[in-house]
Amino acid sequence: MAKYILEGAGNINWMAIFALLTFVIIFTVSALLAFRKNNPVIKRMENLPLDDDA
Amino acid sequence: MANLETFSYDNKIVRNFAYASVIFGVIGMLVGIIAALQLVFPVMNFGLAETTYGRIRPLHTNAVIFAFVGNGIFTGVYYSLQRLLKTRMFSDVLSNLHFWGWQLIILSAAITLPLGLTSSHEYAELIWPIDIAIAVVWVIFGINMFGTILKRREQHLYVAIWFYIATWITVTVLHIFNNIQIPVSMFKGIYAFAGVQDALIQWWYGHNAVAFFLTTPYLGLMYYFMPKAANRPVYSYKLSIIHFWALIFIYIWAGPHHLLYTSLPDWAQSLGTVFSIMLIAPSWGGMLNGLLTLRGVWDKVRTDPILKFFVVAVTAYGMATLEGPLLSIKSLNAITHYTDWTVGHVHIGALGWNGMLTFGMLYWLIPRIYGTKLYSVKLANTHFWIGTLGILFYAIPLYWAGWTQSLMWKQFTADGFLQYGNFLETVTQILPMYLIRAIGGTIYFTGVIVMIYNLIKTVQSGTLIANQEASAPVLVAYEAHNNEYWHKWIERKPIQMLIISAVLVLIGGLIEIVPMLMIDDNVPKIASVKPYTPLEWEGRDIYIREGCVGCHSQMVRPFRSETERYGEYSKSGEFIYDRPFLWGSKRTGPDLHRVGAKYPDSWHYNHMLDPTSMAPGSIMPPYPWLHKNDLNTSYTASKIKILQSLGTPYPEGFADKAVEDLKIQAKKVAASLAKDKITQENLENKEIVALIAYLQRLGTDIKVKDSSK
Repeated sequence: MAKYILEGAGNINWMAIFALLTFVIIFTVSALLAFRKNNPVIKRMENLPLDDDA
Repeated sequence: MANLETFSYDNKIVRNFAYASVIFGVIGMLVGIIAALQLVFPVMNFGLAETTYGRIRPLHTNAVIFAFVGNGIFTGVYYSLQRLLKTRMFSDVLSNLHFWGWQLIILSAAITLPLGLTSSHEYAELIWPIDIAIAVVWVIFGINMFGTILKRREQHLYVAIWFYIATWITVTVLHIFNNIQIPVSMFKGIYAFAGVQDALIQWWYGHNAVAFFLTTPYLGLMYYFMPKAANRPVYSYKLSIIHFWALIFIYIWAGPHHLLYTSLPDWAQSLGTVFSIMLIAPSWGGMLNGLLTLRGVWDKVRTDPILKFFVVAVTAYGMATLEGPLLSIKSLNAITHYTDWTVGHVHIGALGWNGMLTFGMLYWLIPRIYGTKLYSVKLANTHFWIGTLGILFYAIPLYWAGWTQSLMWKQFTADGFLQYGNFLETVTQILPMYLIRAIGGTIYFTGVIVMIYNLIKTVQSGTLIANQEASAPVLVAYEAHNNEYWHKWIERKPIQMLIISAVLVLIGGLIEIVPMLMIDDNVPKIASVKPYTPLEWEGRDIYIREGCVGCHSQMVRPFRSETERYGEYSKSGEFIYDRPFLWGSKRTGPDLHRVGAKYPDSWHYNHMLDPTSMAPGSIMPPYPWLHKNDLNTSYTASKIKILQSLGTPYPEGFADKAVEDLKIQAKKVAASLAKDKITQENLENKEIVALIAYLQRLGTDIKVKDSSK
């Protein structure tokens, strides 16, 4: 079964690769940036909806 | 002590949008139930043009998407935006213009769609004057929303607001490009794009209507109302940053997954598949963020119906955003495309994500703006269980039906022939599932009625706080400091957020669409394909008017099971004059791309008069008015002229001879009908003759012509 799936692995067009790489790079970079710092400002932003009296 | 300003939140506009959402939700769902029952009991088409399935299906989709969910969006946006920004809406006048404008648009849709005034692009069926009205009202909404953002007292834009901004700009772009038409009359336009290009633009729009009308604004609402209901902040603010940008960038590219195994070029199909699968990540980011917001308060879900609704809504969102990408894998899509599986998938999102979130929001919101408590928590819990049950009874029969029908379509005997050569057999087989689906929808609808009762009693026990007093410090000019978190810069700059969102959203569209438009090779020309004759074009417009595309596809896929059943698979070059394209999304009836010259003219005459006369057991409604109405040829000449201006190679001056040419061909059709003993007064002037001419032309251009004819 696995051989049928792997058979199709060779003919991927360049656009799909480009798309995948773009996504992986941007996603990884933003994930790293976002999770690097723990900021008190984030705490404030999170609570914005709870901040009002409504 | 900062300088405190007092102001008031406008709750009246929230109340208005909430009421509109509920009222149109009822109407939209009722039309849906009728449509569902029409498939099981065709008598419910009532023999009237205005109530046939083909005409009311788009009424249902437009009502639930733009009237129910649309008003729901505005309810939540107007409530949350004011409070997150600590300011009243920019302009009460604009708020009211937005509200009444939107409802008038819905009313005009309710009138025009049953009358057969449609452009046929799915979820964009409304005719061009209404499209212009939508643009005007949408701009009013945009000015009101951005005006409010600019006069805010809270410097930072909470995540919900980024989603509202992205929604606004993307819907603007989508609406404009998918509705580019040249008007023929007040009620009809001809699309600028044709065939494959038209298909790509339609589904770039169609999928992103799902993304940016049904998803992103509701994610914004989730990010506001779920923390409010649970009384705790969202699980991970950082996750919301990442999944927001990833979502709006990736979603746009997914459109081609509606066109897999069609004659759309392979490279575009691949992009659609790849990006659809990548989309699982940001979508599930949103789902996880929503569900994990409830960490520590799961016991509250046991007693609070509002949280129950949100949990099912977000879970349904997660399910649908896994199912969608899986359906975008070509091998699975080969089975599910054109079947009820797709319809089931749609309704998990619609009933589960949009519906349940709306109900939760209304149960939370209405008591608060009326200064009272919810009339009955018990009834709200009952609604929850009824609604959840309704979703299951809706979707599961359709999964079963889709799988069953598709496998029947593909089944071969040991000798290599189609096991179920008669399409109707595959329809009859799934009628019981259609019935259960209709029951499921009715169950869901019953829950809505329970909610309405509960909300009416709630409203009666309180008074509307039309203008809710609030106060907040004056906004002081913000001073950036060195170590500030990188994303904070854009969080306080709404215009930059608008522009960058727009750029990201345009990238996908441009990369997929521009090559389709500019590179000729993408649609190889076929020399024998010629433009439609005037009579065939009028017949095509009747096909569009009656909504035939709702049940019949015109795209034979390159599978042996399809070429055996229908004929040669469809090539992109065959559709170069099709404005709009009519590839269809669903096969409730058989594909029609190769129906030309398959049956005699008399077969079509009888079939349209009463489908069961030619196909016993058929669920297709009769169309007797086509045999009674005279064909309207007053626009034929201008249609030909416009088509010429768009590049269709009619001979010079042909527009002036168009009606004459039409009458000659109509006489030929009437003569062929007379040969089969079908005579009728003035038959050659009737609409049925035009429709027959069109159907008999379909797919015949590439057939090898018999030289003896």
